[in-house]
Amino acid sequence: MMENREIQSILPHRYPFLLVDRILEIEPGKKGIGIKCLTGGEWFSQGHGAYPPALLLESLAQVGGIVLGSKARKENPQSQFIGLFAGVSDFQFQRCPVLGEMITLKVEATQSLASLYRFSAEAFVGAEKIAGGQILLSFMQSPAGAPGRGPAGKK
Amino acid sequence: MFHRFSYSFPTLAVDRVEEVEREKKIKAVKWITANEIYLAGHFPGEPIMPGVLTLEGMVQSALILVGESLSRGNISASLHKVDRVRFKRAVIPGDRVEFLVSLTGKEGDLWTFKGKTQVGEETAAEATLILKVVVREVGFEL
Repeated sequence: MMENREIQSILPHRYPFLLVDRILEIEPGKKGIGIKCLTGGEWFSQGHGAYPPALLLESLAQVGGIVLGSKARKENPQSQFIGLFAGVSDFQFQRCPVLGEMITLKVEATQSLASLYRFSAEAFVGAEKIAGGQILLSFMQSPAGAPGRGPAGKK
Repeated sequence: MFHRFSYSFPTLAVDRVEEVEREKKIKAVKWITANEIYLAGHFPGEPIMPGVLTLEGMVQSALILVGESLSRGNISASLHKVDRVRFKRAVIPGDRVEFLVSLTGKEGDLWTFKGKTQVGEETAAEATLILKVVVREVGFEL
């Protein structure tokens, strides 16, 4: 379990683009389950009150970033890294989640090649699966002593 | 632009449509400026356009193409699937982004598009998009 404060120590994302609230379960480097609550105060909620599909992808990618980042931190608490969203394949949307719902974000690393990591990613509301597919992250550790997040942050 | 769609996104991710050919292709443009709300958190002090929002730009361009291709009826379009999405280059404030989207196939209510995002000559992102398009004929309005 990881609270938002700790998430912010791993991800460089901040308001209004930190799209995961809490991590419920995590196995560093392998898989993670996160949640994102949808409420009326958010910048994307003007309009129809649905969570845009593009942001759902981003939420899942951020959980993936935490899975990879927490592994790097476990090995070396001082480590700095850069994660980039490299791609998406075969990702299908059943429906858009709406305000008042809590999305459960599940990601599991399935494959890695050099700095590229493939995750199978699924989003649920309660027991209902609302979207699923594969996402691809590129993750690099910066050399020791290098400042901060480098030129590209995460994605 | 989107009043015919039941589709929501808080910000319009395209500024201008430069070319459109019905049922074929579209070219839309967006300028990236440091003042955009999401750049405040992505990332503090280091603004980079989120890759998913270039994807959103391609989706919106595809929606406009759908709207231009169907001259009547109420359109309900939603994103059904994305595939082969690759983010290749960071997009930063000051860039002019072009979304080039072409319709490659239709099967029932599923429309398939190929999208490409360019900054100048460089490709920033590519994607295959499938939209579910449902058209309801409307009669006289009461």
